[in-house]
Amino acid sequence: MPTILSVFERPDHVAAAVRKLKGRGFDDLETYSPAPFEEIEEAMDNKPSLVRLFTLVGGLLGVLTGFAMPIWMSWDWPVKIAGKPFASIPPYVIIGFELTILFGGLLTLVGLFIVGRLAPRKLDPGYSLRFSAEDFGLVVTVPDRDVAEVDSLMRAQSAVEVTLVDG
Amino acid sequence: MTPPPPATAMAEMIRPRKTPKDSKINLDILSVTKGTSLSYIALVGLAALGVTQALLTLAYQTYEGLGIAGYQAPVFWGVYIITFVFWIGIGHAGTLISAILYLFRAKWRNAINRGAETMTIFAVITAAQFPLIHIGRIWKFYFLIPYPNQRGLWVNFKSPLIWDLFAISTYLTISLVFIYVGLIPDIAIARDRSTGIKKLVYTVLCGGWQGTSRQWKAHNRTILHLAGLSTPLVLSVHSVVSWDFAMSVLPGWHATIFAPYFVAGAIFGGFAMVLTCLIPVRRIFGLEAYITDYHFENMSRFILLTSWIVGYAYGMEYFIAWYSGVEFESTSFYLRAFGPYWMSTWMMITFNFIFPQLLWFKKLRTHVTFLFVLAFFINLGMWFERYVIIITSTSRDYLPSVWGLYIPSAAELSILAGSFCFFALFFLLFLKVFPIIAITEVKELVIHEKMHGEAR
Repeated sequence: MPTILSVFERPDHVAAAVRKLKGRGFDDLETYSPAPFEEIEEAMDNKPSLVRLFTLVGGLLGVLTGFAMPIWMSWDWPVKIAGKPFASIPPYVIIGFELTILFGGLLTLVGLFIVGRLAPRKLDPGYSLRFSAEDFGLVVTVPDRDVAEVDSLMRAQSAVEVTLVDG
Repeated sequence: MTPPPPATAMAEMIRPRKTPKDSKINLDILSVTKGTSLSYIALVGLAALGVTQALLTLAYQTYEGLGIAGYQAPVFWGVYIITFVFWIGIGHAGTLISAILYLFRAKWRNAINRGAETMTIFAVITAAQFPLIHIGRIWKFYFLIPYPNQRGLWVNFKSPLIWDLFAISTYLTISLVFIYVGLIPDIAIARDRSTGIKKLVYTVLCGGWQGTSRQWKAHNRTILHLAGLSTPLVLSVHSVVSWDFAMSVLPGWHATIFAPYFVAGAIFGGFAMVLTCLIPVRRIFGLEAYITDYHFENMSRFILLTSWIVGYAYGMEYFIAWYSGVEFESTSFYLRAFGPYWMSTWMMITFNFIFPQLLWFKKLRTHVTFLFVLAFFINLGMWFERYVIIITSTSRDYLPSVWGLYIPSAAELSILAGSFCFFALFFLLFLKVFPIIAITEVKELVIHEKMHGEAR
């Protein structure tokens, strides 16, 4: 199936074009934008990002480790001081707090790579360096019979350029 | 095999393509990374020389022992610990700008956050070396890391020094994650515009970034969560550093005001260092269109605000010393102002509280040369603040019979100078590898303005 690349100059035009295409039932879409714009993200997919789960799990793991580790180590080497319990919780709050942030932050980074599907790999054939300049791109893969329709649709949405992607 | 699309559609699509113009923002900011002038090489060489002399001193100190530092009873925390606290403090402005101002949606941070984060990373790396230099037997540094062991070391999690280890390693790691996540889209910009080995390195670092909606969405979330996590972290790190002092019982240290006092001081000194770094960068690379006087004025306001918090803490320390009626406390503070270290104390008060009051004048807030000079004095003042806190308290203990005098030795000064060169060296190298202004964040603002037709 052919892939059509449309180039836009404004993010709101991209968002409108995405909505149009989705309304027509074309779901094989991808956008490229030089900076984050909420309107595009909302038009593409309105579900909350899954990165939040990674942060939550990381934070919980961190707070667990931050308390479990000192408690285990205090018991592993019991030194009785002033008749107090070996493990004293109040000072361990600081360790728990720091490790919550450490693990939470690291897992958020992992989440970014997994959820955003980042990996050093070949770039999409539709991507070009103009999308890291100031242009916006929208690629859509449609059956042959719809190419002409999509083409005119995109031009009607003020695309400045519509081309077929090779390969 | 894909059959060709209908002829009419094909005909429609064959149109002369515009050659895509590169964005001016990309060109301007990436130009910083391109080419090296003679003066740049000279600066790098000078910094490398400074680092080398410090390394030689360190080698000598490691061979000879800590005796060559100015340590003698009763002062065993000297320039190394002072400089450690100084650099950790410097590191606070970066995360404040990137995390707290992000949560407050202060958009003006977009132009300066990368520079401030870079400064944070290298300041914290510089600081992290000082505990190792301070322990003398560097090869035993792993004794600091807590784990059950057979070496007869009891891991005391009730000690602020252990909290410090956790706080600082967390701070360094999370700051690195933060700057890296922010860099990903910018590295992709550099990747698209480079060739050869550079392109390969950038390709791996940016993880195939293409700016798809999925990627941006995950990226936004990540930045938000990291900002949320870093905000309490910034406030905690210098609090924990301050507890290294406040948890002990020395007069002048054992005060509850220490945590907020240190945090405010850290932000104050950090902003001064941001000015020290960014004013020359803006001037040399001609980035006036991005880092404007407006940014410097906002930073000056932060400096003014935090100088008042710091000034309040100075005043409150003296007030409590008098009001508590504790003789040790009041003697300790009397000796701060009129004892052997009076000059450091008055320098600290003048540079950190009196000089910044000039920022009440708008003319001076936007006068870049003035700000640069002021920032220099604030850096000096903040170093002396730690000097005063650490040295006056340790040298004047409870018993006058154990009082002593500490004078920094040549070895310590050589390593102190080396730390500044180390910081400068890596900051200079960073300039040539990664964009010093967050390109995509600036672009976001510019495209928004273009859309809504508002010009500032």
